[in-house]
Amino acid sequence: MKLLVSLAVLIGSGSILCRGAEPSSRSSYLADIGPAPEVKLIDAEGKPFDLAARRGKVVLVSFIFTTCGGTCPATTFRLGQVQRELQKKGLWGRQVEFVSISLDPTRDTPKILTGYARNYQADPAHWYFLTGPAEQVARVIAAWGMWVKPLESGSLDHPSRIFLVDPSGHQREIYSLEFLKIDQVLEDIRALLED
Amino acid sequence: MPGIRAAWLLTVLVLPGLAHAETCMSPFVKRLEGQEKFLYVFCVDADAKDNDSVAVIDVHPDSPSYGTIIHRLDLGSKGNETHHWGYTDDRTRIWAGGLFSSRIWIIDVATDPARPKVEKILDNITEASGLSGPHTYYALPGRMLISFLGAAEGGLPAGLAEFTNDGRFIRRIDQPKEAPYGYDVAVKPALNRMVSSSFTPLRNYKKPLAQMDLKDFGSEMIVWDFKERKPLQVGKAGGAPLEVRWSLKPENDYGFTNCALDNSIWLFRGSKDASPPYTFKKVADTGALPADLRQTSDDRYLFVSCFNDNVIQQWDVSDPDHPKLFSTVSPCVQPNMMHVTGDNKRMYVTNSLLSTLDHAGRFYVRLIHIGPDGMKVDPFFNIDLNALPTGPARGHDMLIN
Repeated sequence: MKLLVSLAVLIGSGSILCRGAEPSSRSSYLADIGPAPEVKLIDAEGKPFDLAARRGKVVLVSFIFTTCGGTCPATTFRLGQVQRELQKKGLWGRQVEFVSISLDPTRDTPKILTGYARNYQADPAHWYFLTGPAEQVARVIAAWGMWVKPLESGSLDHPSRIFLVDPSGHQREIYSLEFLKIDQVLEDIRALLED
Repeated sequence: MPGIRAAWLLTVLVLPGLAHAETCMSPFVKRLEGQEKFLYVFCVDADAKDNDSVAVIDVHPDSPSYGTIIHRLDLGSKGNETHHWGYTDDRTRIWAGGLFSSRIWIIDVATDPARPKVEKILDNITEASGLSGPHTYYALPGRMLISFLGAAEGGLPAGLAEFTNDGRFIRRIDQPKEAPYGYDVAVKPALNRMVSSSFTPLRNYKKPLAQMDLKDFGSEMIVWDFKERKPLQVGKAGGAPLEVRWSLKPENDYGFTNCALDNSIWLFRGSKDASPPYTFKKVADTGALPADLRQTSDDRYLFVSCFNDNVIQQWDVSDPDHPKLFSTVSPCVQPNMMHVTGDNKRMYVTNSLLSTLDHAGRFYVRLIHIGPDGMKVDPFFNIDLNALPTGPARGHDMLIN
């Protein structure tokens, strides 16, 4: 952030406009939050999935469960919108993929996840809905700093975070569903791909 | 595509509106469902001979122990000047810090909200960030943004830094040279703007009031591009602009600050067509030393605690350029921190500012009811922080759960 040492232009009325130095790379505004934790689960086709094998691509990682009546449908719906924008721009699949990890692996079998993905028009070729043995999924959830807690209603409480992982496998942004702007996500993805 | 239509409806219905959001904390923090059951008070041991602590007060109206301290969390060390704190985005932990020690506690309030536990102590944040005096703990998704009052050695410049929710340093964010002081920070996500304010560094605030250098306080406010964490403009307010309170309506590009050394409220307002884009102007004179500034979730009222005049003022800011004094109360001597509930009906109050600035030696937590005709002090809710087993405690920041 030394690069943000500013040149200042005094322009009257007690205010100063700041002009930062040129950033070192297109995506330098996205901090390196740390390596993306390991994800080794099974996808909706029942095949093994390893996040590390997606290196070289930008990946958006979300956590959902299919019977959620809270934020999960909105998360998947919003990501579906991002998928369609990426398809229009020719970035989908070749350079960008999505991963949605079940918070309720006991109920979210591969078959259930397949139906869920279809309902949101998720492209099964590049949007991976993951499940697995409950203990294994629990380890993945915890490794990402996520948690899931049963509610009295029978539903599950959990944070709503969407993680942006760069082609080298590092977390570069965490979005809150409530303030997720599709244009901004596209801008962040483009920045990571241009570096 | 019925599935998609259903999801769209859910998108509209599920995303919470701002009408009943708890105010004066990061908009990224998960909302509290229903009425609060616990009030946490961050306490400095008054004579610094015992460890600093967190007092847990039962505020569930149906509870037999309503209005009493039901638990105290010993923080394990003394003389920290425990001051401000904030929830992580998922509301499971509180990040709490000491202005003298620059020590940070990560406190688990999810496992048992009635008996919070220290999960981790960060003793190396100055080493990691090059900054001292952690002040505002502002949740970002999965991270904490902290504004610091000064540089590592206790002087200037101040700055900001980000950490993961479990305490790993991510990055430092430098302030422009023209604005070296630091205090509060607040983000307006809808506008991609962040504003920070100014106070004084450790070299000054650690001194007794009579020895403080009043020229060593800032009056600058910095407007930032939030996404890029890049300063855009430095503006001038009155002396020591403290709290940053954005208007809570997404479309409103304005906010307020309380200038402690200017005894005033200032308005900052952005305009897409202006250059520079933000203007800063005084809009109200308050009582002496406006120490805290709070707001209602409907953007209608501001509350100002006047530390040296022993009153809390309620200002109608429906017209932000022309605030009107609506009501006043005097809940205790030197009222300081306030915490307004999400339904805008209750406000909790403490009365310690800093151990170096307090002019009274008796400490309480009071409750004010906010109604259509103004504020009224609850005569029955009076938490006495003077007769604790460890002696008097200076209560400062509060959070509800």
